[in-house]
Amino acid sequence: MSAATLPATGGRELSNPPSDGISNLRFSNHSDLLLVSSWDRSLRLYDAGADALKGEFAHAGPVLDCCFHDDSSGFSACSDHMVRRFVFGSGKEDILGRHDAPVRCVEYSYATGQVITGSWDKTLKCWDPRGASGPDHALVGTYPQPERVYSLSLVGHRLVVATAGRHVNVYDLRNMSQPEQRRESSLKYQTRCVRCYPNGTGFALSSVEGRVAMEFFDLSEAAQAKKYAFKCHRKSEAGRDTVYPVNAIAFHPIYGTFATGGCDGYVNVWDGNNKKRLYQYSKYPTSIAALSFSRDGRQLAVASSYTFEEGDISHEPDTIFVRNFAGRTQLRSSCLLLRFRFVLDV
Amino acid sequence: MACPSNDQLLQLETTCGSLLYELQIIWDEVGESDTERDKMLLELEQECLEVYRRKVDQANRCRAQLRRAIADSEAELAAICSAMGEPPVHTRQSNQRAGSLKEELESITPQLEEMRKKKVERLNQFIEVIEQIRKISLEIMPSGCNPLKLAVDESDLSTRRLEDLYRQLELLQKEKSDRLKQVMDHLSSLNALCSVLGVDFKETLREIHPSLDDAEVSKCVSNATIERLATAIGRLREIKIERMKKLQDLASTMLELWNLMDTPIEEQQLFQNVTCNIAASEQEITEANTLSVDLLNYVEAEVLRLEHLKVRKMKELVLKKKTELEELQRRVHLVAEAENQEEFAISAIESGAIDATLILEQIEFQIATVKEEAFSRKDILERVEKWFGACQEEAWLEEYNRDENRYNAGRGAHLSLKRAEKARALVNKIPAIVETLAAKITQWEKERGIEFTYDGVHLLSMLEEYTIVRQEKEHERKRQRDQKRLQGQLIAEQEALYGSKPSPSKSQSAKKIPRTSAGCPSRRLSGATQPLKLDQLHSAKPVRSAKKTDDLGILSPGAKGADIAGLPVKKLTYNAMTTHQEVGMPRKPFAPILPVNNMPSTPSKHIVSTFEENKSPNVMLTPKNPMAAQAPMQVANTPVPPTCLFDQAVAKVVAPAEQTEDSFEERRLAFYLSR
Repeated sequence: MSAATLPATGGRELSNPPSDGISNLRFSNHSDLLLVSSWDRSLRLYDAGADALKGEFAHAGPVLDCCFHDDSSGFSACSDHMVRRFVFGSGKEDILGRHDAPVRCVEYSYATGQVITGSWDKTLKCWDPRGASGPDHALVGTYPQPERVYSLSLVGHRLVVATAGRHVNVYDLRNMSQPEQRRESSLKYQTRCVRCYPNGTGFALSSVEGRVAMEFFDLSEAAQAKKYAFKCHRKSEAGRDTVYPVNAIAFHPIYGTFATGGCDGYVNVWDGNNKKRLYQYSKYPTSIAALSFSRDGRQLAVASSYTFEEGDISHEPDTIFVRNFAGRTQLRSSCLLLRFRFVLDV
Repeated sequence: MACPSNDQLLQLETTCGSLLYELQIIWDEVGESDTERDKMLLELEQECLEVYRRKVDQANRCRAQLRRAIADSEAELAAICSAMGEPPVHTRQSNQRAGSLKEELESITPQLEEMRKKKVERLNQFIEVIEQIRKISLEIMPSGCNPLKLAVDESDLSTRRLEDLYRQLELLQKEKSDRLKQVMDHLSSLNALCSVLGVDFKETLREIHPSLDDAEVSKCVSNATIERLATAIGRLREIKIERMKKLQDLASTMLELWNLMDTPIEEQQLFQNVTCNIAASEQEITEANTLSVDLLNYVEAEVLRLEHLKVRKMKELVLKKKTELEELQRRVHLVAEAENQEEFAISAIESGAIDATLILEQIEFQIATVKEEAFSRKDILERVEKWFGACQEEAWLEEYNRDENRYNAGRGAHLSLKRAEKARALVNKIPAIVETLAAKITQWEKERGIEFTYDGVHLLSMLEEYTIVRQEKEHERKRQRDQKRLQGQLIAEQEALYGSKPSPSKSQSAKKIPRTSAGCPSRRLSGATQPLKLDQLHSAKPVRSAKKTDDLGILSPGAKGADIAGLPVKKLTYNAMTTHQEVGMPRKPFAPILPVNNMPSTPSKHIVSTFEENKSPNVMLTPKNPMAAQAPMQVANTPVPPTCLFDQAVAKVVAPAEQTEDSFEERRLAFYLSR
């Protein structure tokens, strides 16, 4: 693969990164605030533009996911089974509710005003953050899943849940009693990450086997004919392929292109419609744990943090890079210059 | 009465005669009758008589006046003398000899004047004394002053009375000075107390009586004032004693705390002025502000601070000891007690409900117990390590055996050979190791009457499981060897149906019947990560000699553990259920993957749904089917006859439903919790 590697640094490195693995990071929908959840049991709020740590919120155990409510508050999913809400300015925290096992994912739906969490207790729960006293008053509903929930993604009224055992459930948030679709991942290996397209027509799935599948909600023949999968984040040396898990997918909010990050330490940017890889950033110190685009798509936050794929080994320190994302014109010219490689897996 | 002088009389007679002569002439001329003449002469005589009479009356009156004056003066004089207590100065008898009345009066008047002066002087003295007495009495007893008593008694102006009064005045003055002294004494004690207690002296005085604080005015010495002074002194003394006791208590508490916490000398000296009085009596404390409210508060705050410090230090000590205990337990693979206990202990110390020393004692005791246990466990633990080591080597050996290149003369090949030799010997010893270990454990358990736990797991059960698994594997191996023969036949059939097939690489398939070792002793715990698993992962990596890029290439180490099939990788066994997984079929490299039904399948993306789950993905990688010849990916040209695959697939389908592999996060959390 001789796709062009864009030069320069991995981006600005943020100061005061977490002291242990980064489980997820998110840009706010309203500003350059960045919320970072970490295995060092902290939830951190950064101002990415100013490179300043604005707040740090301690938890009882590793924090596995986080998301914004708005610029003044956010939610955390913690391994101590609790879902919490934090008000950043005052540091006030309250427990929204609890699961029976570590909470793996948390999302906030602007469409319904609800918080949705997925846990290893094989359930999905919806919470109303305005729910008053007591955790159980905030609980809107519990929806059993076939297996432990590994990843969640929302777009509009649709929710996609990826679980262990390669199950994929698609829900309509307006009617959660039954999944809208029960599917199985078209990839043969454990699902790492699922992300919906910003245009709401489908979702992307990544697995531990260096592969990404592009799927569509519309079950008609015509729509399903468009789906495909491709290989990525693999290294070929001496004729042998080494295959890496793809930990993170992030869609550009405007262009619809997307970036993937893998355990090989690389971030690739793809054009899904044309089935091309646009470019690859230079290798990061260690595995890419999470990716997030800013609201205007001009910045991409990259969490370079070992994701424990080889167990407890020594690794590079966990860092957060924020890099400027190429503008459209630059994108076009790089497309022209690049040879593209894209292997289709039928 | 002195007669007029002769001359004058003569003159008068002359004048009278001449007047009479003249009168006669006139009468003669007039021719007055004799009667008339007599009448006139009689009138004349009468008139003259009248005048004489008048003159005499006047003289009489004068004389009476004089007498009266004298009598008055004498009376007054006598009165004065008697009032003044002096003998009468002037008596009538003595004055009768004096002569005429006028003389008498003349002599008595100055005497009277003098006595009057004396009286006035005396009176003034009296007034003065009485005034002073009144003043002092007022000072001493403002309400008890009786003005009537102090009026001047004019009837008694004697010196004796005056002296009496002087004496009275003296007494009063003495009393006043006594009282004043008493007041001054009180003032000085009050001053001392106020100074010690840090109370405003002047303010206190003013409250008792304004004059006490005023330098201009003489101080009030009334009973009330003195009483009030005495009460004030009593009250302040009580306060002083009270504060002194309190300060001494605080000081002794402070000394205790300093002693307990080894406070540095510099800090202690800050309170030198307090601690020096720790055993003082009330009288000994005389320095200003040594018992003021501020000082007391200051010391109290310091004691409070020290006590908080003590609690913190106790907490720290307890935590330290707890960590020590946990460390000890971890080293001998004893499971630590629930964390809740620790939090309970900390909150209890903080609330003061439980004495920290008690908890410390408990922990110390626990530490001692653990140490003792450690000693008894040492032998068995060592043997367990040996057993783990042997398993590790066994796993390495299996990997090594699968490596096609192992006989190539590369770097370190001879080392590997040596290691393999040793490993084989060691592997043979494993049953013996396990047996002696089990025996030791049983003996230990019998002696102690409790189970031997290793990280919370019953070690004996672990060993038994391990033995069972091993046996099962042996059976499995045998079975596969048999089935391989069957597969050979099937391949021949397929060749007839579908055309030529790549030649089998027998060596690999023969030897590479999955001899997955038991891996590591399957643990029921999800938290235990054995280093040897990682070893397996690492060693599995360079095994294949691939000639092509195959998407079945070597998975990155991380990927291997998760939901992978078809690759000869040791699956990470994080739960007991995975024992079956290991039988799971590492897939032969370069082998085309056939669907179970042996049909040339269209690349069906949903074929996976025909199988229970991803434990048998090797079967599902249909696109690799060379017979279908439609895989866009480059497939190997020297695949292995899928005999073993078929077996594996069959076995796979037969195998009961298993749990899926864990994600990286689950493993990470398990590791995190086990730390």
